[in-house]
Amino acid sequence: MDKSIYLRMRQRVQVLQHQKVTIGDVAQIVASDENERLVKGYIIHEVTPEDKHLIVIDVMRVFGTIQRKNLGVDIQTVGPAQTILEIQMKQKTMAPVYFVLVWLLLFTGSALAIMNFHEDVSMQLVHQKIYYMITGHFKEQPLLLQVPYSFGLGLGMILFFNHIFRKRLNEEPSPLEVEMFNYQQDLDQYVIVHENKETEKKINGN
Amino acid sequence: MGIKVLLIAFIGFGGGITVGSGLVALITVLGIVPRLMQLSKTYSFIRSYELSIIFGAVIGGWMNLRNASLAFPALILVPIGLLAGIFVGMLAAALTEVLNVLPILAKRVGFGEKIIFILMAIVLGKITGSLFHWMYYINH
Repeated sequence: MDKSIYLRMRQRVQVLQHQKVTIGDVAQIVASDENERLVKGYIIHEVTPEDKHLIVIDVMRVFGTIQRKNLGVDIQTVGPAQTILEIQMKQKTMAPVYFVLVWLLLFTGSALAIMNFHEDVSMQLVHQKIYYMITGHFKEQPLLLQVPYSFGLGLGMILFFNHIFRKRLNEEPSPLEVEMFNYQQDLDQYVIVHENKETEKKINGN
Repeated sequence: MGIKVLLIAFIGFGGGITVGSGLVALITVLGIVPRLMQLSKTYSFIRSYELSIIFGAVIGGWMNLRNASLAFPALILVPIGLLAGIFVGMLAAALTEVLNVLPILAKRVGFGEKIIFILMAIVLGKITGSLFHWMYYINH
């Protein structure tokens, strides 16, 4: 029993350039005190500039590293079979000009999109019709309906993503946060398969 | 004569069924009702919400086709306009979400944390675009 090591790879680990990554960094370990201390200290990878942005450490590499030390231990793994190392570059501070440009692009784009949508579904006619249905009079430009409608448009989007009333309404994640999470998971899955040379074997030996 | 009436009624009924199920399918796919229930914590009223959608569609459709009109004061259009706007806004937000635009955009331009700014750009753009459309564009 004393010889067992339980090991669980972490999902994502942030590392720095030139950092010596130890097994303790990439995995959670449970073992006898002595073994735990030893195993956690083993260096599994040293980050070099050639590594680019992401590195995948497979659990097999962890096995290899531990095996080579001849501890004579029995390793049990739980959970994911690899860890993604994300190398933290020096934080690029975003130029304000760049930010303003993107902001204006989105602003103009969504303004254009909503105008196209209104034209597309003949919203003006529909609004005139609603005005007539409710009041019994025809009005060429039913602004009394259209101005609140315009503000409601923005309010509806904010409500859907629940960014402002977060604390008051409830604490469940908003659809946007779930969507961000799913997107990140997909990216991770892609990286795990494509950055990990051991998972693919091609005929021509590349 | 009789057969003509029957045929017309049949065609109308068939068209109604198609359009009605299409509307429900659209609302379901975009997940606006679940989102509203989640926000207001009123999951138990799902049946009433179904009814409200059905009544809204039937009454709106009927009044539209019959050219019917009521005689309310014009001010009542303010809350109606606001509600209509909120619904369309949620529709637009749900559509953006289905297309996965925001997460990708936030990652590409590198402000993942500040996604609220992206959201505000789109929201303000929508409001401005809409106001511009009704108050200026229509008249020119």
